[in-house]
Amino acid sequence: MVLADLGRRINSAVADVSKANVVDESVISGLLKEICNALLESDVNVKLVSRLRNKLKATIDAQDKPGVNKKKLIQKAVFDELCDLVDCHQSEIFKPKKKQTNVVMFVGLQGAGKTTSCTKLAVYYQRRGFKVGLVCADTFRAGAFDQLKQNATKSKIPYYGSYTETDPVKVAFDGVEKFKKEKFEIIIVDTSGRHRQEAELFEEMVQIGEAVKPNQTIMVLDASIGQAAEAQSKAFKESSNFGAIILTKLDGHAKGGGAISAVAATETPIAFIGTGEHVHDLETFSPRQFISKLLGIGDIQGLMEH
Amino acid sequence: PFGFLRKYLGGKKITREDITKTKSLLIDHLVKKNVAPTVASSLAQEVEKDLSGATTQSFTSVEETSRKSLEKALVKLLTPNSSIDLLKEIQKKKNNNELPYVISVVGVNGVGKSTNLSKLAFWLLQNNYRVLITACDTFRSGAVEQLNVHVNNLKKLTDSEDGISHVELFQGGYGGADLVAKIATSAIQHAKKNGFDIVLMDTAGRRHNDAHLMAPLQSFAKAAKPDKIIMVGEALVGTDSVLQAQNFNKAFGAGRTLDFFIISKCDTVGDLIGSMVNMVYATGIPILFVGTGQTYTDLRTLSVDWAVRTLMS
Ligand SMILES: Nc1nc2c(ncn2[C@@H]2O[C@H](COP(=O)(O)OP(=O)(O)OP(=O)(O)O)[C@@H](O)[C@H]2O)c(=O)[nH]1
Ligand SMILES: Nc1nc2c(ncn2[C@@H]2O[C@H](COP(=O)(O)OP(=O)(O)OP(=O)(O)O)[C@@H](O)[C@H]2O)c(=O)[nH]1
Ligand SMILES: [Mg+2]
Ligand SMILES: [Mg+2]
Repeated sequence: MVLADLGRRINSAVADVSKANVVDESVISGLLKEICNALLESDVNVKLVSRLRNKLKATIDAQDKPGVNKKKLIQKAVFDELCDLVDCHQSEIFKPKKKQTNVVMFVGLQGAGKTTSCTKLAVYYQRRGFKVGLVCADTFRAGAFDQLKQNATKSKIPYYGSYTETDPVKVAFDGVEKFKKEKFEIIIVDTSGRHRQEAELFEEMVQIGEAVKPNQTIMVLDASIGQAAEAQSKAFKESSNFGAIILTKLDGHAKGGGAISAVAATETPIAFIGTGEHVHDLETFSPRQFISKLLGIGDIQGLMEH
Repeated sequence: PFGFLRKYLGGKKITREDITKTKSLLIDHLVKKNVAPTVASSLAQEVEKDLSGATTQSFTSVEETSRKSLEKALVKLLTPNSSIDLLKEIQKKKNNNELPYVISVVGVNGVGKSTNLSKLAFWLLQNNYRVLITACDTFRSGAVEQLNVHVNNLKKLTDSEDGISHVELFQGGYGGADLVAKIATSAIQHAKKNGFDIVLMDTAGRRHNDAHLMAPLQSFAKAAKPDKIIMVGEALVGTDSVLQAQNFNKAFGAGRTLDFFIISKCDTVGDLIGSMVNMVYATGIPILFVGTGQTYTDLRTLSVDWAVRTLMS
């Protein structure tokens, strides 16, 4: 399971505290150290980890009065801080409305899984009764249109793209217009991979955004990303103001801490996770339930709501 | 660059505690550069060894000693032990009439295998070789068409009138692992018959922790008998790089390991280039090239000097 290792380590660190006869300064500092190591080894941003450490320590110190159940206190403090990391307070994740047009634009780094996730999301909404179309606005990557076309065809999703037009802004605009006219309810626009170091690529993303006026922009993030996650996701946030994250490749071995840092840095929630290369390998994501399951506390309802 | 050490050490005499603290500062520094904590600790241990002998000296010498010793460790790590002169090896085989030379790329999903394979093709074409690109990714949608686009681009860029350098695509469509082995063997036959010097084989991206996906690499290697197996690893990836490299390195069965890494997307991480340290540390496999962009010329030999300076900054 996603981030399971991290959960196990944090959980056992908290359990160790409750086993100790006297919970003194050194036990607490051992706990903090173990939690921080676990987070760092999962690729959580270095600065975030040290901030979390200080906040945790402050909370525990402030609330530690005689009579207070220390194990509960620590458990709650850890829970709250971790929730803070992935929850980002913005509870309202995009809910597309039927009988109107919802344009969804995908952005992200090269190879993150945008094109694959586009079709996954299209199928997800199609199964829920929406009329969904896919637009390939990636005119850069070799074979990008064929990839989207083959995926869409397999899943019987209408698609739009061009082998000859090289301007992604134009393709995006034309595709969205076409589907709008045909009363499509969800129009998903796939774009090329890009990174913050190349300003022109970001400018192109802004222009596509201006052309298609997305109701929702989604950043696709590879779960194995390391310390570069923060700077890249911040830059994408500034230029595209994405409102949700799809975290891909969680079927892999990566612990997903880089992505957590991206969530924290951009205060944007993870809406879905990708768990494989096949079209149905997409699950919704609920941060609070996720953390409570991680730590084995709170209401343990199904982690994923289907 | 190592000012953070000076700030901590002040001007006092060095104690055991200072060394421990220095070590943890160094680890912090490396982890910020995207070096995995486990790898960072091992590197810091080498620094500790060097520092222990300098315990009673002044703070500047501690700063100097730790900087120098970390630098030394990184240079040693990143400098290839064996030759990475691929052109020379190809030429040797050519002289012995043993062509085609077979090179395949492997790696996890989306790291840049197909793109960097095309960059390799460009480089080889510029060196006047005849290159057959082979589509052994029979799984991912559009994988074959992607290579076809690259081959057409490369033809326009490099095909010479005298017909010396030349590139073609060999493909067999989409299908399962059996098809992959079949394509690989037929590609080599095709290359022999048609005078191709080099066969470049693309493969599908796969998760390194899934035995079902990794197992076919053995039968692939048996069928293709690649002269070189290159793993494309990504600069963006974090601590998972350690296991990615280890698992691919042992995926080809007894007696066969990876030969090289290409570290892709180095242009996307700024100075956070630690993932290459992780992959080399985990396996001892040298870096053939680094990928620094999305065009055919964005393939460079790694400057160890640059890498170490970047990691120390
Ligand atoms: N294992 C696994 N692989 C995935 C997942 N999502 C995508 N992939 C794979 O990741 C690779 C890259 O996916 P793409 O969808 O092409 O990525 P992209 O972001 O569109 O790439 P560019 O357009 O080149 O920037 C492909 O091999 C996909 O099959 C996932 O959730 N799990
Ligand atoms: N910025 C940058 N992008 C790169 C580099 N190398 C590859 N890419 C991009 O990364 C994305 C994925 O590249 P591919 O070559 O399709 O990756 P792959 O490993 O073959 O992917 P799968 O076959 O789906 O597993 C594309 O958008 C490439 O343009 C690089 O060095 N720098
Ligand atoms: Mg794509
Ligand atoms: Mg590929």
